[in-house]
Amino acid sequence: MLPPQTVSPDSPEEFAAALRAASDQRRTIALFGRGTKHRMAGAVPAAEVNLSTARLTRVLQYEPRDLTLSVEAGIRFAEVDQLLGEHRQMLPLDPPFAGEATVGGVLASNTCGPRRRLYGTARDLTIGMKFATLEGKLIQSGGMVVKNVAGLDMAKLLIGSFGTLGAIVVANFKVLPRPQVERHFLLSFDLAADARAARDRVLRSVLQPQSLDLLNPAAAARMGKSGFLLSIQAGGNRAVVDRYQRELAALGPLSEVDPNWTARLREFTPAFLEEHPEGAVVRLCSTLETAPALLESPAPAVIRAGSGVAYLYFAEASAAAAVLSQPKAILEFSPTSRSFTAELWPSPGADFEIMQRVKRMLDPHHLLNRGRLFGRT
Amino acid sequence: MLSAEAKRKLAAVVGPQGYLDQPEDLLLYEYDGGVDKARPEMVVFPRSTEDVVAIVRISKEYGFPIVGRGAGTGLSGGAIPRMGGVIIGFSRMNRILEIDLANERAVVQPGVVNLDLTVAVQGDQYFFAPDPSSQKACTLGGNVAENAGGPHTLAYGVTTNHVLGLEFVTPDGEVFTTGGKEADLPGYDLTGLLTGSEGTMVLVTKVVVRLMRQPEMVKTLLAIYNSTDDCANTVAEITARAITPVAVEMLDGVMLRMVEEATHAGFPLDAAAVLLIELEGLSEAVLEQVEQIREVCLACQAREVRVAKNAEERDLLWKGRKNAFGAVGRVSPTYYVQDGVVPRTQIAPTLRFIGQTGAKYGLTISNIFHAGDGNMHPIILFDPRQPGDLEKAQRAGEEILDYCISVGGSITGEHGVGMEKTELMPHLFTEETLAMMRRFKELFDPEGRLNPGKMLPTGRGCLEIRQPALGPSSIVY
Repeated sequence: MLPPQTVSPDSPEEFAAALRAASDQRRTIALFGRGTKHRMAGAVPAAEVNLSTARLTRVLQYEPRDLTLSVEAGIRFAEVDQLLGEHRQMLPLDPPFAGEATVGGVLASNTCGPRRRLYGTARDLTIGMKFATLEGKLIQSGGMVVKNVAGLDMAKLLIGSFGTLGAIVVANFKVLPRPQVERHFLLSFDLAADARAARDRVLRSVLQPQSLDLLNPAAAARMGKSGFLLSIQAGGNRAVVDRYQRELAALGPLSEVDPNWTARLREFTPAFLEEHPEGAVVRLCSTLETAPALLESPAPAVIRAGSGVAYLYFAEASAAAAVLSQPKAILEFSPTSRSFTAELWPSPGADFEIMQRVKRMLDPHHLLNRGRLFGRT
Repeated sequence: MLSAEAKRKLAAVVGPQGYLDQPEDLLLYEYDGGVDKARPEMVVFPRSTEDVVAIVRISKEYGFPIVGRGAGTGLSGGAIPRMGGVIIGFSRMNRILEIDLANERAVVQPGVVNLDLTVAVQGDQYFFAPDPSSQKACTLGGNVAENAGGPHTLAYGVTTNHVLGLEFVTPDGEVFTTGGKEADLPGYDLTGLLTGSEGTMVLVTKVVVRLMRQPEMVKTLLAIYNSTDDCANTVAEITARAITPVAVEMLDGVMLRMVEEATHAGFPLDAAAVLLIELEGLSEAVLEQVEQIREVCLACQAREVRVAKNAEERDLLWKGRKNAFGAVGRVSPTYYVQDGVVPRTQIAPTLRFIGQTGAKYGLTISNIFHAGDGNMHPIILFDPRQPGDLEKAQRAGEEILDYCISVGGSITGEHGVGMEKTELMPHLFTEETLAMMRRFKELFDPEGRLNPGKMLPTGRGCLEIRQPALGPSSIVY
């Protein structure tokens, strides 16, 4: 999966030096962790230097009593998850490719999953970051405390930048205590409108589920279920989670699923991509109000119904054109074949001009991860 | 100096009732909630984004500095014109443009008062989460500029976690929108970069915020201690036991007495310290956590744990907390409040250091702060009429912030760097990091006209010159 002749520096300092060396020679650079998301956000054409964070794997600081964690960017997310789990704590990002994905890659792609409803994204849980620039500098944003407004929040720019501005080498997080009990429920409906109505009632209620996802029948079928599904994960003490069960049962036909359900839902995209080398995934950022309309899609649709972000799955990438023409849609994962030429981000906003200024400031010679950021850089 | 011609042009934009330029009026705009002062040459009050653009273009033409200002409640000198020039007061851009409960969003102008937004949606059981103590007066534009916090940030995050989109005017007079009602939009997160940029990069003219559903149950507890250490250790113990309050506020004995005399909230006068703890959520969770909290506090030697019986009792406790800074005014002519942050496990030693620092300088320092996230607010009492007192207070403040840095913390949790802490930034960040922040500032504001002399070192100390040297219009008393 990784390109040949990949360089994996051993320390943030060496990483910065490697970036500088490549930049000084005006060589194009492909930047990645373990390469799990090579189909995401536009493929990087063969670069002259391949740089991976895969050997930046140290846990720099973990103080469970402060609920803070600092790790190097190349550590696998699964390893962090396990470490936190030993202390009954969590970093509830639920990124796809969780087994192999690195923390740096999760941040650079701003990937998250079902529990985004309650806990937010990397944007909300990252309290500090070190990134390396093409000039070989290590830049610090934020720190190791959970509340900090000293200086510019540059980490926000790096999150979701797909390695087009610099290389995330260290990330600091606030972590959370794991709820005593977590349970996973499904409400299934014959009609999309009923699924939507149930979602609306949960949103307007005092319930605060960890996740709230809508699946259309095509997506449900891939998960071995049928109908329009509202998938809900709830956490808390036993009495709280029992109450979820009671109140959700009043909204429609309720079943409980095992914890593996949410893991499979989190890995919905990787499973689809593996099965469909020429398939594509569209991500549409929509609102709570408009997102449920996508349930009518013939293609599998998984909607983060508590945030309005929808994922649509196409076995043939060409079928994605219609939905991709909607504003705020991106082709998040592309087909493997390089012959695919659609615009990945057809309609960036007027502020894209400022994004380009930021890009030029940090990468004036256009060396870093060419083509990433959805073909726009 | 602002030329007569530039003044005339500005006046033409905002109309005869839309500006202030008389010395007695300008006096009111030379300070904020902090201790620094600098007088503007003119204050203009735009009514629209177009007005702001016109003002910014005049600033560009004549080359004078401009500083955005909401209600002037900031505590770090963020909204005062350090290098003179014109203040753009946003108090007339104070409309809530849209409340969209179905999408859990509101769109507001920057001059909307923080609490007014919650008031506008609370009848429908929603609220806006960031709740700075000044929320009755402070504006959302100021909250965005400073990335404001508040007691409930412990559970809900600071302003940046609740801002999804901005409309802004660049120092060149360009208007952009970034982000929007939708979450997780592709591209670089400019909203995240600009929130907390302390008005040094753009002027925000519209904000898209997240609204949250009110919780089913709220319980507020007061835990009373005979020892500050025991009180501080309770905070770490709450975390260790995985209890998740939405607010954990600590008041020390000095503060308690000042607050009690001013508000009669029922705080004990003889205690060494108290914790004000709030729990929110489903009743099943809150009721269990009330008992868990009681157990933790008693295990940490609290002498008493009280639970507010009703909304009035709860409001009274919070009134004491949120009006605390006002209460100080009864005791001391003025005060200097700091905003350092430490890891939660370091609260007890940090409080001891603050006590020692007060003793060393012969200053009374009281503490009232967001203990749950380690955000210290030592309030240094002093009398500016006593020669040398302000300098002593500032030195004590700096030593406390250096201590916060030494235990892995930061110099500001929610008040911002402003003009107050610019020279402490090199204690926290490397040259390279500061240079990068400066490049971002210059990318948006190459001429250095927007809120100059803030957030980044100015080179007044032994450091190299980082921003244009301070002009004669800056006054520090």
